[in-house]
Amino acid sequence: MSNELKKTTTDYCETKECATEAPPKPVAMGWKELYLKEDWWAIYVGFGIALLCLIAFMSGSTFAKSLAINPGGLKWDFDSTGKIVDHFSKNIGLYGIQFLFWAVIFSITTKIMRIKTSEFIPAFIILYILSILAFLIAGWKDAGRWMLEPPIVALLIGLVIANIFPFPKWMDSGFRVEYYIKTGIVLLGATFPLNLVASAGPIAILQATLISLTTCLTIYFVATKIFGLDKRLAAVMGTGGAVCGISGSMAIASAVGAKKEHLYTSVTLVVIWAIIMVFFIPYVAKTLNLNPGIAGAWVGTSEFADSAGFAAASAYGKMAGNEDASIQGFTLMKVIGRDIWIGIWSFVFAMIACLKWEKEECGVKPSPMEIWWRFPKFVLGFFLASLLMTIIASGYSATDFNKFFKPGVFVPIAGLRTWAFIFCFMSIGLTTRFKELKSAGVKPFISFTVGVLVNVTLGFILSVYVFGDYWSKLGK
Amino acid sequence: MKDKCVHCRYFDNRSAFIEMTFPGLNSLSSAYGSVWAESGICCLHDLFLSPWRGCKDFKPSG
Repeated sequence: MSNELKKTTTDYCETKECATEAPPKPVAMGWKELYLKEDWWAIYVGFGIALLCLIAFMSGSTFAKSLAINPGGLKWDFDSTGKIVDHFSKNIGLYGIQFLFWAVIFSITTKIMRIKTSEFIPAFIILYILSILAFLIAGWKDAGRWMLEPPIVALLIGLVIANIFPFPKWMDSGFRVEYYIKTGIVLLGATFPLNLVASAGPIAILQATLISLTTCLTIYFVATKIFGLDKRLAAVMGTGGAVCGISGSMAIASAVGAKKEHLYTSVTLVVIWAIIMVFFIPYVAKTLNLNPGIAGAWVGTSEFADSAGFAAASAYGKMAGNEDASIQGFTLMKVIGRDIWIGIWSFVFAMIACLKWEKEECGVKPSPMEIWWRFPKFVLGFFLASLLMTIIASGYSATDFNKFFKPGVFVPIAGLRTWAFIFCFMSIGLTTRFKELKSAGVKPFISFTVGVLVNVTLGFILSVYVFGDYWSKLGK
Repeated sequence: MKDKCVHCRYFDNRSAFIEMTFPGLNSLSSAYGSVWAESGICCLHDLFLSPWRGCKDFKPSG
């Protein structure tokens, strides 16, 4: 990847990085976004898979169900390892088809997004094998006792590999964390009742607004008023902690014209705290024996990134025996409550930067279209999939739905979603190389950490005590 | 408007380059997502910018 990016020196660039790496022409996307951005591909792939499951169900085929196979439910122990051999020797053909299914879909779509296929395919082969291993470990009879749920196992395997004997950097081409999680979220939409979005959505938005404003203002205040840090850095860190992790930081960094170093700092802080929270929240929730819907909402309120949050919510849901509730709580809070406002945050900060911070050199005034440009489009896929499946499912009586439609359509979709998620969780681990992170500095670290503490405490209070009644009803 | 950053030769917004520049970015995010819009790095000022910004140092891309 890196060799191709190096360009010849230009007369214009003064910085070393620019001189060696400036492109001949920047990318202006326009409608090309429809095939160059992973959000749209996540929608196309998610809808394609949902349609495949629907067609298979209507034609009486069990193909989709077979395609969702994984060894996570084996419940093997050290005296019965023969179960593993039996399982794989019986289903080796199915695993072969499953591998080809995912490899073909993801390698073609990433190629269109201009990711090198020669790098993607070998990385994806490794990713698939490691994902099988994660399912297998989580399928151990006593895995639950050690809280070794598949998301946690995948993350741990990835982290150990990345930080002890890492794969070459070019293999990151196949470890596409965001593409896998977005595909999984669209598939989640296909099994997510639309009435739940309508009934719990306003609560999620209210809770998200409270937590986002409080966290962002806390980080901003500590950074600027106590430590005297740059306003742009404070804004970048504040939205990273409050809205959408690295994506939030990036959106605001570009909106306010932040220095590159500001983004380095925020990326480092978000990655470190997000990884800590993946383990912290589920284990505290387990200790307190929290209702899974409530714990999911807490994760959605206090985790920074969608991918890390899904790992935490899914892990706790499995520990508590109701993954649906936990995933639903998380999705409502994070995807619907927090993610969709990123464009608005971005526009507001762009206006503040233009009208207050840099009056003389603002140049082009920010456009309200920024709200749409930065909108995470995969969320549209989530809503549309939910709407479509809710309409189709409404044609069945409650009995027929539970007897035929749910096992025939929702179960295979959920099974394939599990695969998309496990690819994501493994990829988080494989791409998180702590040694490579840039130093954040003590003052930014303290500012962000104060925000994290406020966020996690207030998130707990809101999820458990203030809105606990709503969240506890999920997944029933 | 042709004098925006996205048309400037100092501006680099290729997704692979952005991911390479910010270590850790692709572990929880991605430069191939909609949220990134077409943001990129101004090599002259070392800033991270929206593509629709502009400044007096604009130079058309080649």
